[in-house]
Amino acid sequence: MLMLVFVMLASVFLAACGSSNSNGVNQNSGNSSGTNTSSGSSGSSVSSGSKVTIRLATWAGENEAKELQQILDELNAKSDIYEIVQDSNPAEYDTRLITQLSGNSGPDLFWVSAQRAAQFAAEGIMLDITDQLNASGHDAAKVDDYYDGSLMPFSRDGRIYGLPWLQQPVMLYVNKSLFDEAGVEYPDGTWTWADFMDAANRLTIDDSGHHPGDPGFNADAIKQWGFTLNGWPPSQMFIWQNGGEVILEDFSESPIDTPEAVEALKFYAELINSPVTPSQQVIRDRGFDQMFRNKQVAMFMGGAADDLDSTVENVQAFMVPAGNGGIKATFADVLGMAINKKTKEPDAAFAALLDLTDAIHHWKIMPPRKSLSDLASLQELHPKKAHSLEAIIASMEFAKPYRYFDNYPEWDNVYWTQLMDPIVNGGADPEGLIPNVKRLLDETLK
Amino acid sequence: MEHYIGALIRWVLAPVVLIIAAIGLYWLFRAIGWSKRQAMGLAIVSPWIIGFVVFTAYPLLQSLYLSFTESNIFGGSKWVGLKNFNRLFTADIEFWSSVRITLLYALLSTPVGVIGALLIAMLLNNRIRGIGTYRTIYFLPAVLPEVAVALLWRWMFNSESGIINFVLSPLFKLTGSGVPDWFGDPDYVLPAFIIMSVWGIFGTNTVVFLAGLQGVPRSLYEAAEIDGATAFRKFIHVTVPQISPVILLQVIMGMIGALQVFTIAMFVRPTTGAGKFMNQLVYERGFAQLKMGEASAVAWVLFVIILLLTLLILRSSPLWVHYESEVKR
Repeated sequence: MLMLVFVMLASVFLAACGSSNSNGVNQNSGNSSGTNTSSGSSGSSVSSGSKVTIRLATWAGENEAKELQQILDELNAKSDIYEIVQDSNPAEYDTRLITQLSGNSGPDLFWVSAQRAAQFAAEGIMLDITDQLNASGHDAAKVDDYYDGSLMPFSRDGRIYGLPWLQQPVMLYVNKSLFDEAGVEYPDGTWTWADFMDAANRLTIDDSGHHPGDPGFNADAIKQWGFTLNGWPPSQMFIWQNGGEVILEDFSESPIDTPEAVEALKFYAELINSPVTPSQQVIRDRGFDQMFRNKQVAMFMGGAADDLDSTVENVQAFMVPAGNGGIKATFADVLGMAINKKTKEPDAAFAALLDLTDAIHHWKIMPPRKSLSDLASLQELHPKKAHSLEAIIASMEFAKPYRYFDNYPEWDNVYWTQLMDPIVNGGADPEGLIPNVKRLLDETLK
Repeated sequence: MEHYIGALIRWVLAPVVLIIAAIGLYWLFRAIGWSKRQAMGLAIVSPWIIGFVVFTAYPLLQSLYLSFTESNIFGGSKWVGLKNFNRLFTADIEFWSSVRITLLYALLSTPVGVIGALLIAMLLNNRIRGIGTYRTIYFLPAVLPEVAVALLWRWMFNSESGIINFVLSPLFKLTGSGVPDWFGDPDYVLPAFIIMSVWGIFGTNTVVFLAGLQGVPRSLYEAAEIDGATAFRKFIHVTVPQISPVILLQVIMGMIGALQVFTIAMFVRPTTGAGKFMNQLVYERGFAQLKMGEASAVAWVLFVIILLLTLLILRSSPLWVHYESEVKR
């Protein structure tokens, strides 16, 4: 018996030696010391003062987390209701969050992507904040102030389950030096696919200075391409610009076989196979955005928050071209924040949600609120992107996210593996694929 | 500080509970008439048994149950019988291509791994100066993280500046074929993964073979030499039979490892035209689509495949594995 106890005690000692904290980065600096507890179950607890500790999960990397901590320190100092504790870990954020939420050990507040928000809203993971928003006078609670598209992923059956803190439209980044060299005028608000293709053609140059279509043009010796794409920018955006849709508003069908959608997908496939864009192999070898940074590509479509216009010389963001019929549309990446339905402190979490959402609106590009889309004040906040902001603000009007729904990841998997991957990597003709893919997509909507 | 104390208390509490459980079990076994030795033995291993039941056996059985349900990770499962399996076998757009590439990869990469590791181990079994250093160098690849290795391979497969296409370029010129796009062309994805599996030769596999080789009695080689055997004959008739139990172990472990390939595939992300590995499918269904029922069904099909292949290898082993204690019937 004595031996048993001895062996057990020895194992306790060894276990204690071998233990380590596996909770990822816990960014609790600043004045939050002495009040944090992350005691496993639903996060919050009342600290020694009267403030409530609110655990916030984010995917922020090292630098982003530091900037966020400064914001949190200010908010915590001002508030007498909550003390937000940051738990940031970009590695496998979604998997970690899902596991925590399913295991009843989720944070009180969490950052969430638009796609996950739609899933979580359907699963009843996020707190319904509709009534609290209506009752609140806070600037960030004014639902009408948000751009329509940005609230879409957080809404379900007329109820709101979270707030967006960023809406990032896809922009056309242009290397103005290359445009000047080729004598091409910069894009303006009137650009359509035809103008875009014309510019891309003139910006594509081979060894001997010829453009595609010129006699003597050598497609194997291109030194500069007009544009680049590899499945990004999303083909859905081109379908919208051509007046088509990929998922109907009532989620009954994926109308990718309409003439508008077919024409847009064919345009996308033509771009892929055209000499004005590098081959997929070259893109993989040299790096997608790296080629734009290295002046091997003259135009690049990226999110409004990308640093291409602030880190590469003479680069500016413009609106993406409209369809040939003049329809303007661009894809918007929407990111937001929601409250865990199982939080023990819904009121404090709601107060923290509003304050922090508002603070992030004054931190990142682009705030999804119309009242904050003022050029002069945004330029002051983001001097490095000042020259691009006018186009970014203009793009917010027609930017929208995908039509997310609970089964969207499966829909997206079919769309990518059965349609886009064959077009992008296999050089397939969209028309041959569409009938079967439409059937498969419709099945995921059932 | 407070939450560190909380964590510390939990860390201490868990072993204390285990000790109390072990002592309880000891008295229980004594009470039902077990001998002191038996009760003590079981009580001492009981923390492991409890860990196994809670963290392995229960999740295993739970996933089997989930494979017959429609459920997502947030709970709410509904019994659907064989629907998940039926869907996988008859209607799924990715399942069969996934089975195909996973099986082909396992069947083709396992021999490469086993034979390669054996050859390296034989090199390292030589008695030359500085052999310890060489052995360390050959073990180094095993301590690198898999993601770093994937990054390295991606760089080596680069068709413009990568070493693989550079080395193979005479072959491409001879056959007149273009430079392959390893991760973009579905036909080249499998060969690329098999080439990457060469990495698995080094490290643990080599060490295990080396241990096996050092267990071969020198007297056997001496006897063979007296009979005039060449180096090749000594290898075939002495070395291989003597280490055949090690080869069996390596084939089984190598194959199981190959069937479960995940990290490198997720990181390299080749075109989906060649199919996704089965573990990728499990991850995507479970954590992207939140369909734990379907994910469990794929995992159990993978489990059955591993079980059948392992049984096949084990059953075939009497034909080619030599045990010294064996009595010929």
